[in-house]
Amino acid sequence: MKKKNYLDTLSDSNKPFIIYKSIKGFDLFTNFSEKIILNNKNIDRFLNKKYKFKNKYKSTDLLIGFFGYELLNNLIGVKIPKQKSINFPKGIFYKPETKINLKNRLIYKLNTKQKINKKFKININHNSYSKIFNNFKKKIRSGETYQIKICTKYKNKSAIDPLDFFCRLSETNLAPEAFMIKDKNFSIISCSPENLITKKGSFISTKPIAGTLRKNKKINKIKALSFFKNNIKETKEHNMIVDMERNDLSRICKPGSVKLKKEKIIEEYKDLYHYVSLIVGRLKKNIKNIDIIKAMMPGGSVIGCPKISTLNLLNHQEKENRNIYTGSFGYIKFNGDMRFNIIIRSILNFKNVSEISVASGVVIDSHAKNEFNENFIKAKALIDLFT
Amino acid sequence: MIYIVDHKDSFTHNVVHQLSLFDKVECANYDEIDNEKLNKAKTIVLSPGPGSPKDYPKTKNIYKRFKGKKKIIGICLGFQQILFAEGGQIIQQKQIYHGFQSDIKVISKNSIFKNNLILKVGRYHSLKLKEPFNAKNFDITMRCVISGSAMCVENNIDNIYGFQFHPESFLTINGNLLIKKILSA
Repeated sequence: MKKKNYLDTLSDSNKPFIIYKSIKGFDLFTNFSEKIILNNKNIDRFLNKKYKFKNKYKSTDLLIGFFGYELLNNLIGVKIPKQKSINFPKGIFYKPETKINLKNRLIYKLNTKQKINKKFKININHNSYSKIFNNFKKKIRSGETYQIKICTKYKNKSAIDPLDFFCRLSETNLAPEAFMIKDKNFSIISCSPENLITKKGSFISTKPIAGTLRKNKKINKIKALSFFKNNIKETKEHNMIVDMERNDLSRICKPGSVKLKKEKIIEEYKDLYHYVSLIVGRLKKNIKNIDIIKAMMPGGSVIGCPKISTLNLLNHQEKENRNIYTGSFGYIKFNGDMRFNIIIRSILNFKNVSEISVASGVVIDSHAKNEFNENFIKAKALIDLFT
Repeated sequence: MIYIVDHKDSFTHNVVHQLSLFDKVECANYDEIDNEKLNKAKTIVLSPGPGSPKDYPKTKNIYKRFKGKKKIIGICLGFQQILFAEGGQIIQQKQIYHGFQSDIKVISKNSIFKNNLILKVGRYHSLKLKEPFNAKNFDITMRCVISGSAMCVENNIDNIYGFQFHPESFLTINGNLLIKKILSA
């Protein structure tokens, strides 16, 4: 079968599949022989299980999927009070039997009629957002948190073709951690830019993003850098995340091995600039994948700081389950290597209801109106797909 | 061995990582204090953390129990805990420093650091010491160059040292040297 038509055929077949951004293009995984639905009871066993591979390691010797936000909280002993829930699975992993490399330009001809409704409902209006915001600012003044991210959710009822959405999204926004999952009753479409864990042998790295600037004709890469360098609020937010990620790596890495390899650099994407750092380390002996996941997840840059007390503040504030949002998607290879992102800038479509969650940070010098608007800007690229 | 009381902070393991360069380190959560290890330790470190000293009564007890018997080092919240246990008041400040790099200055001849030395340090604190503060054998030995707020307390008789800033932060220049000096003092 020609790769060119592969996506059309695959989409017609109604087989579940996953696409994940690779360095050169995309990897497509399908023909799943196993599907593991995670919960609080089986997660430990799942993460501790050793998979065998025959003589030579194959490119399909891996499990690919996601951990939801609630599962990751529970894994580190943080409880979430009862919330409004759509009963979406807390985590799912798949064992693929087929892997196909695709080029950056995904070619796919939409042939099913989608029923798209353009209307979105937001779960928190500007007024209640301001109330939450001011409450959190008080918590910052009293030292309970230093930075906290308020999440808002946009919802829409539409029957969508996720592959069509993903192809269009990749054309406008080719993000390094983009992925999509299509399964029977749900799909996820994401243009996540943020890598949380890259683990190869005893090497581990994390690449937090804190700071985003929209592109326009007047701004180039150098100007973007000086914008961030001169913006005290952005710099402080970023510094905090760097120290927090150094901390999380230090839990599992050899003393003296945790290094800030790239400090506050600019990465350029099609529509925006990101303010990024790269932190690396060498894992201690006897560290298992479960230790790594507990140390690093949920990813700090999308939560706030310090992690535990901020998670508790967030969880008591938020009335709706975050589902996949600020969870992690990626794979665990049978040789122990891993790659995981942070699930942000994503659409979760479950039983024909789409939800887009976004968050922006409250630090001592942020303003409710700006942050509320920033949330909308972040959601807009995804909302615009509903045309 | 160094024992760190972790106040559930997201910076504590940077402290562990830094101290591990010099000695064996044991670190346990505030809720799971290991008394046996605590008794064996040569040095006790009170970690940074959210909230205010009054939220952590067990730490105050540890401080009182080992004052004068072991070297005690406090960082950020730990610094405030030392001062709080010595009768100082910890209050909210107008200007809040989170993720902020600033210049501080050694302002006392009693310091183990060179007088008038200027250091670039990373800060993460909402609260500060209310002054004037007086306690026997304690000196405020460093201050913020701009605001003047207390950045270091030393008691060289009982071997107690506290930093309002974070020596383990990547924002602190030569933080390792600073810690080395305290550990060998």
